[in-house]
Amino acid sequence: MADSPLRLAAIILAGIVGGVAAGMFGVGGGILLIAFLVLVLGFEQHRAQGTSLVALVPPTGLLGFLEYSRSGYVSWRVGLLLMPGIFFGAVAGSWLAQTLKPRRMRQVFAVLLFLIGAWQAFSAWGR
Amino acid sequence: MMVLVVILLGLAIGVLVGLMGVGGGILLVPALVFLMHMDQHLAQGTSLFILLPPLGLGALSVYWRRRQVDLTAGILSAVGILLGADLGGRLAVHTASRDLKGIFGLFMMVAAVLLWHKPTPAQVNPAGRNDG
Repeated sequence: MADSPLRLAAIILAGIVGGVAAGMFGVGGGILLIAFLVLVLGFEQHRAQGTSLVALVPPTGLLGFLEYSRSGYVSWRVGLLLMPGIFFGAVAGSWLAQTLKPRRMRQVFAVLLFLIGAWQAFSAWGR
Repeated sequence: MMVLVVILLGLAIGVLVGLMGVGGGILLVPALVFLMHMDQHLAQGTSLFILLPPLGLGALSVYWRRRQVDLTAGILSAVGILLGADLGGRLAVHTASRDLKGIFGLFMMVAAVLLWHKPTPAQVNPAGRNDG
């Protein structure tokens, strides 16, 4: 299909929406990006996830990170210790993803998202 | 002991990164708060720190080989995220962190329900293309 200007604009908008969440919550922004790519632009789930990983390659959170770092809100030691595990774990996770059919992949994604979301909402307001 | 816990936590989060195609912050932030007893700000700052290097690159190569990557869309999204993250950081200052956390949780739950109920995925992009 052709990359219409409208579609390209929609993708940038999706990035901005994901980015607002990234700066606010200290995350990568991939969650909202994937949801947008699948629900609005009709991406198949695996393709949305692979595309999200591209968007996460450049250090897009740099501006946000600098703000936190200036205020002393970074644990360097824990951060560095987490990195090797995340890299190798991510390779294993992507192999796992390839064993799932697209529809099942979307359901696994949705369930994990719901559980983490429920955990966050509950821990904020639940008690 | 704490070192081992953190490395194992990294591994567990990595599996989620590859499986879901996300950055990992979504699970890392709550995990740091609960397991490492960090406060919300410290957890979020540490999460942004681990997102600086491209830790998902190994996972990306797996998706890439299966032609499950839209390069144009990915790059455009990165531009948007860079801009949006700046705005998000500013907005966050004016909202209580407790409410932020709760709102984000609700967002995820709504997105999850929408994704679950989505009918058969519309195959907009023809299979076998790596570029947009």
